[in-house]
Amino acid sequence: MNLAMLKPGEKGTITKMGALGPLKRRLMDMGLLVGEEVQVEKIAPLGDPIEVTIKNYQLSLRKREAEGIAVEVVK
Amino acid sequence: MSVDVAELNSETSSGLGLGAAKRSVTVAVAGNPNSGKSTLINALAGTRLHVGNWPGVTVEKKEALFSFDGKEVKLVDLPGTYSLSPYTQEEIIARDYLVHERPDVIINVVDATNLERNLYLTVQLMELGIPMVMALNIYDEAEQKGYRIDVKAMEQMLGMTIIPTVATKKVGLQDLLDAALEAAADPARRPKELRYGEDLEAAAAAVEKAVIGAHHGLVERYPKRWLAFKITEGDERVLSEVNLGGIDAIVKHATAHLAEVHESDMETLMADARYAQAAGLTREVLRKPESKKKELTEKIDRIVLNRFLGIPIFLAAMWLMFKLTFDVSTPFVDWIDAMTAGPFKRWMEVLLGFVGASDWMVSLATDGVIAGVGFVLVFVPVIFAMMFFITFLEGSGYMARAAFVMDRAMHAMGLHGKSFIPMLLGFGCNVPAVYATRTLENQRDKALTALLIPLMSCGARLPVYVVFIGVFFSAYAGTVLWSLYVMGIALAVLMGIIFKRTLFKGDAPMFIMELPPYRMPSFRSLMIHTWEKGKHFLIKAGTYILAVSILVWFLLNLPWGVEQRKDSYLGRMGQVIAPVLEPLGFGTWEAASSLVSGLIAKEIVVGTMGEIYVPKAEEEKKNIPTFAEDAKEVGTSFIGAIRDSAVNVVSGIGISSITAQESLNEQEERSPLREVIKDQFTPLSAYAFITFVLLYMPCVVVAIAMKQEFGTWKWFGIAFAYQMVLAWVVAFGIYQGGRLLGLS
Ligand SMILES: Nc1nc2c(ncn2[C@@H]2O[C@H](COP(=O)(O)OP(=O)(O)O)[C@@H](O)[C@H]2O)c(=O)[nH]1
Ligand SMILES: [Mg+2]
Repeated sequence: MNLAMLKPGEKGTITKMGALGPLKRRLMDMGLLVGEEVQVEKIAPLGDPIEVTIKNYQLSLRKREAEGIAVEVVK
Repeated sequence: MSVDVAELNSETSSGLGLGAAKRSVTVAVAGNPNSGKSTLINALAGTRLHVGNWPGVTVEKKEALFSFDGKEVKLVDLPGTYSLSPYTQEEIIARDYLVHERPDVIINVVDATNLERNLYLTVQLMELGIPMVMALNIYDEAEQKGYRIDVKAMEQMLGMTIIPTVATKKVGLQDLLDAALEAAADPARRPKELRYGEDLEAAAAAVEKAVIGAHHGLVERYPKRWLAFKITEGDERVLSEVNLGGIDAIVKHATAHLAEVHESDMETLMADARYAQAAGLTREVLRKPESKKKELTEKIDRIVLNRFLGIPIFLAAMWLMFKLTFDVSTPFVDWIDAMTAGPFKRWMEVLLGFVGASDWMVSLATDGVIAGVGFVLVFVPVIFAMMFFITFLEGSGYMARAAFVMDRAMHAMGLHGKSFIPMLLGFGCNVPAVYATRTLENQRDKALTALLIPLMSCGARLPVYVVFIGVFFSAYAGTVLWSLYVMGIALAVLMGIIFKRTLFKGDAPMFIMELPPYRMPSFRSLMIHTWEKGKHFLIKAGTYILAVSILVWFLLNLPWGVEQRKDSYLGRMGQVIAPVLEPLGFGTWEAASSLVSGLIAKEIVVGTMGEIYVPKAEEEKKNIPTFAEDAKEVGTSFIGAIRDSAVNVVSGIGISSITAQESLNEQEERSPLREVIKDQFTPLSAYAFITFVLLYMPCVVVAIAMKQEFGTWKWFGIAFAYQMVLAWVVAFGIYQGGRLLGLS
């Protein structure tokens, strides 16, 4: 399960950061760290990018960027 | 590995504590994007701000010099960043400045409503060991939300003065400056050294001992703790700067155990540790109310980012901005145009007449200089209006939403969601559009957007289309006109895809972007920003444009005493170029010369054609107004311009004056020209010609805008080259293809 697969309203806990190099660093700098809870808020009208809430603020990222973030769905 | 002498000097002088009172105090302002940094700086420095670029890059640099409390203060605005990684241009600029220029104090602007993520940067800034103070900004909103922040406790934990501020209302700013100067006066007062946990500290200590212990010189160039952690972390940039053999082995040795135990790389461990500090601090000092009521931003976004409404709302917002930008400015543009072509020109003639200037001097002064000045001024209202709206969109938080909504479509052609707005502005005028690429953070996105902007058919091309359409295609004028706009867009998509695969090969830049809460930008900050940009344009671009305008005058009027346009340098250039245009159906020196003059602005193509094709005798003699009449006209028409501008805003119907109306007049005025065009062109070659005008090169003002934005002529060079080829190929295809199909 990865972040791009969550539906709006669904929450997940990050279990692994699959990205590499600058992309991974940027995601981590924005607060996407293993163990964090992240909720998908919206999907853009054209289907990409997505909006998530992380560390109490809103972040948008493309699905391709979200695919590398493994999550475990939180009920 | 060179050691900067000046750096060492500044180091020793501060080391010796040479009177901070005497030296000017350098204050660097750092913070996350959207933390209110620009607003705060504008409030602190106001119009004393000087806007430029960081050397060699396209990132904006703002600086201000002023005296405060009897001290000279130099305020430097660092790019807004979330971190100090070695990967983005902004972060590299910020860290290089902090590490190598070592300001006397850092003002860290922190968004009080978003503490944890903002503190992540604070934690990194603290590693530098530079005196710091914190502006706990947007404090009003935090209070409104019922956040309670224990500022005293936070000061204790961080070891710095923290001032709650409301930048939009100028609350706390005096105290902030006071605190900053106080901190700067005492270099020993460093922020606390936050601990990153035993393992990491041990690894960093090992690195420090092995590397820094063996190379004492490093300590003069880098803050020790910062360097130790950067090396431990494996920071590419620092490692290559330091450039020491065997360092990899040392780092590996010091960190192998750690990495193994945690099954992770050092960069991740450091990010975790820093965020752990930020989270811990936040937990200690912030109390939030339990209430779960929906916030305003959330409510607005439900509509603005809605699956069905999102795009229509976006398009409506864009239409409104486009209209406002061009409708507000058009009456002023027309006024400036009319004034420089009329009264000012006549006054100059009279004035020069008094001093007994010869005809050519009068002509140079009026047709060269005054026309050039007018030409510069004409852009000012558009650029002011555009800057105003762009800044508003950014400050309010809508720009990020616009990018969110459009990214999918723009990404298909290798662009970023934010590219849409500059491209759209391009339909009005390519010049403000190029300046608007400023909203894009990534150099690649910026450059690619700027390269494609000239394919958006701007208002200046319309007069050319209109003349030709009027002569040959009046029965289906709309369709032909529409075909040109669509062709421009289609070719932009095509070129975007080609550039993405060639010039900009490699990974597309990331999109990862914050959607900040909606906020009301402060009017003062908007005005300052707009003014700075407009002024910048006037001074920098104005000089170039004026020079080019004078150059063209010489091209038209040299060699001395040319009678025939054909023999002027411009005419001769036309003669040289004409054969190249032969296969496109318009290989005459007249057409070629007109196209050359279009370098100034594409609308000039029509004017030059009028001059070249139509014999002088047909110029009408007008009644020359008196000075008093002129002066009155200047005043009343300016008032008229203000009125028109207001009316345009209120009525908001139809893209008014730049375009259709004016072009129609032009068309009637130039009826002799129409006769000649009918003779010289066929419908097919006419269509090839206007296509060529659509595509063939950016005008000189766009060139200057590109130079200003990118600090190099490179991107203009590329745009010029590809557009020439594209224009030739497409016009060739149209003309020759049409002939094969039996059209004429
Ligand atoms: N309520 C409130 N809004 C603020 C404050 N400071 C800045 N803003 C608003 O926050 C938005 C972003 O500010 P800006 O200066 O552009 O942020 P920057 O990205 O850090 O330069 C603007 O709409 C500002 O008007 C503040 O102290 N209180
Ligand atoms: Mg800003």
